[in-house]
Amino acid sequence: MNMIQELKKRKRLQILLLFFFVTGLTIWSAIGTNFSFYEVFSGFGLISNFVFLDLLPPDIAASGTLLEAILETLYMGFVGMVVGALIALVLSFLAASTTTPHPVVQVIVRAFTSIMRNIPGLIWALILVASYGIGVTVGTLSLILGSVGFLTRVFADTLEEIDTGKIEALHATGSSYFQILAQGVFPQFFPGFIAWSLYNLELNIRASTIIGMVGGGGIGFAIQKGIKLFQYKEVSMAIVLVLILILSTEFLTSKIRERII
Amino acid sequence: MSRDGNVYPLNAQESDNEIAIKPKKDLFTRGVFAFGAVFFLFCLYQLNIDYSNLLAGTVDFITMLGEMFPPDVSEWKYVIPAAIESLQVAILGTVIAVVISLVLAFLAAENLAPNNLVASIVKGFATLMRVIPTIIWALIFIVAVGLGPLPGVLAIAVHSLGMLIKVFAQSVEEMDDGKIEALRASGANWIQIIAQGVIPTVVTALLSWTILRLEIDIGESTILGLVGAGGIGWELTRAMRSYDFNAAFFIAMVIFVMIFSVEMLSNRLKLKV
Amino acid sequence: MNPILQVENLKKVYSDGTVALNNINFEVHPGEFIVVIGPSGAGKSTLLRCINRLVEPTSGDVVFKGKKINKIGARQVKQVRREIGMVFQNFNLIDRLSVVNNVLHGRLGYTGTIKGALGLFSKKDIAEAEEILERVGLSKQKYKRADELSGGQMQRVGISRALAQRPRLILADEPIASLDPASSKIIMDHIFTICKEDKITAIVNLHQVDVAMKYATRIIGIKSGEVIFDGQPSHLTKNIIDEIYSNAKQPLVNAQ
Repeated sequence: MNMIQELKKRKRLQILLLFFFVTGLTIWSAIGTNFSFYEVFSGFGLISNFVFLDLLPPDIAASGTLLEAILETLYMGFVGMVVGALIALVLSFLAASTTTPHPVVQVIVRAFTSIMRNIPGLIWALILVASYGIGVTVGTLSLILGSVGFLTRVFADTLEEIDTGKIEALHATGSSYFQILAQGVFPQFFPGFIAWSLYNLELNIRASTIIGMVGGGGIGFAIQKGIKLFQYKEVSMAIVLVLILILSTEFLTSKIRERII
Repeated sequence: MSRDGNVYPLNAQESDNEIAIKPKKDLFTRGVFAFGAVFFLFCLYQLNIDYSNLLAGTVDFITMLGEMFPPDVSEWKYVIPAAIESLQVAILGTVIAVVISLVLAFLAAENLAPNNLVASIVKGFATLMRVIPTIIWALIFIVAVGLGPLPGVLAIAVHSLGMLIKVFAQSVEEMDDGKIEALRASGANWIQIIAQGVIPTVVTALLSWTILRLEIDIGESTILGLVGAGGIGWELTRAMRSYDFNAAFFIAMVIFVMIFSVEMLSNRLKLKV
Repeated sequence: MNPILQVENLKKVYSDGTVALNNINFEVHPGEFIVVIGPSGAGKSTLLRCINRLVEPTSGDVVFKGKKINKIGARQVKQVRREIGMVFQNFNLIDRLSVVNNVLHGRLGYTGTIKGALGLFSKKDIAEAEEILERVGLSKQKYKRADELSGGQMQRVGISRALAQRPRLILADEPIASLDPASSKIIMDHIFTICKEDKITAIVNLHQVDVAMKYATRIIGIKSGEVIFDGQPSHLTKNIIDEIYSNAKQPLVNAQ
């Protein structure tokens, strides 16, 4: 009985400490960023003026040229996903503890892909623009880098969760390494492969809408240009298109996921 | 059933009118793959990537990577505070989003909302907030409140709010209806049901979503500087624009370390939760 | 008749220091149906896995068809494994593949690497796999996905996969531990009759003594990694059974 009370007390103390820690962190952040409710609320008027007078209604006449840009965004996101998934497919077999040929290979691949993953796509684009110049090449390449980084990790995690008993059963029949990979590992890995790749497509579409802002082409470039030229109604039309593209991608991928898995 | 000792018949449980039908090959999966392959080629064609530029650019990129060494740390007096500012923007934005979404999520969850209209309106707003990327929100807020970290905080708060309402509401909707019913039967009111029945059940899910969101937001806050919404992204933009690759490399390293350590930390926390 | 399998001074110590098997000695003759009994954690699973080298023995010899197999290289191990079928407690089928594809996995050891990886099995192998499925009463299920079957049906696919190897020896590790009594009887009947008809030698791990008594031509009792009974079922007295299951170092959680 005493022990239970003691544990409860400790737990309550832990929660209290966590609460103070988070509150402290928040206050520290608020001071550091000069956050003030006054400014937020006084900004409300400006924001609503801006939204209702400048942004709305969207300029439908501009949709013709914007359509080309949004399609470019879609193309970049899709190519980034396919190329990224193919590269990650190979790398993940090297990066998963269950399938790697050697632990050193595993560490190297994991470190390499962690760099790709932990530098945001927009920053990759910023760096790549210096070498490749403005255009879709930069956008596509930075999406590929991000996809390889993300997918290698989640694919490898999926491979590590595979039921080892089933692999043991194939070993027991005298199968070779590649036969076991193809006949035992891959069928178990397939649903995860599809689900994560589709999710990556969603991430890529989101990322590619903004990658254009630093010169990666697509709708982001159009939005950036519109803001610089104060063509806000064009900007809001672009945002509407982004909305449609992201929602329809989400809808389609969820349908495909349901059917295949 | 067979008598003991008599080992046949063995397949008594199958009915005889069932015939093995060779299933059609999974047409849907094949169709998706075929379409994907064709669409991929179409995309490549439409993007019209200049492959000679791709090659030349790669050579340039490798040269540039070489030039980036060694990283120039002399600017650390500006870079480190900017990194801290990014972190603060992310923390404050996430906290604001979590607090507001805790209220709105219960209004958006279909099993708890006062009525379906409220749920759909809240969900609609959440979709709008979550679909518009953070950096576009930042651009909008910059027009309203000027440059600096404040529009960054607001942008992160709004975009995260959209996602958190969605996932929090889903967590609440997934919970066992019986529990709510039991509390309702005991005469509890709306607030009591949420405080005593719902929150204890979904708290783990909410915590892990919050951690995930903070992880994403720290990544996002590093790029907000690109449009002038504070933080380390601005330092990187400046360095790249002035072709100061050594400084840019140092800044990129700082960004990597920031996001990488958050990923490590959140993996630890996930293990604990 | 020469023994098909000899186990001599077999010892297995796991890297954490657990002694799973100690000084195990026995011979298996063609046509025997041996049931290994013992409490969970006694080392039954380790014993079977040392025979086909899914687990590497620490010391001692395993001799299969007159040949020491504990020292041979990886390629030869695969050839030996082709002749030894294995049936598992958890069936270990590949869920998303069809029943007949799972049975054909028994032919992988005989199929070229690339053909096997792509699942291009010969017509002869497919016909044989279908024959085996008919024998265990699953011909109507052959195109279903493995995860659509009931537990008992899954285990019959597991047996079929072992049979597709045309094995000389079948190792069955707790084949009925995850099944209900009715399916358990069907599975044991299948293993028993098929081994008898095809003259396949079998070593079956079980923890139910009554089932062991009913099918075994010989029973081996293991306790804490050592053989404490080896003989005909009729010689297995109540005292010996108590001895096997008494003071067993029963782990709190059933170790697999």
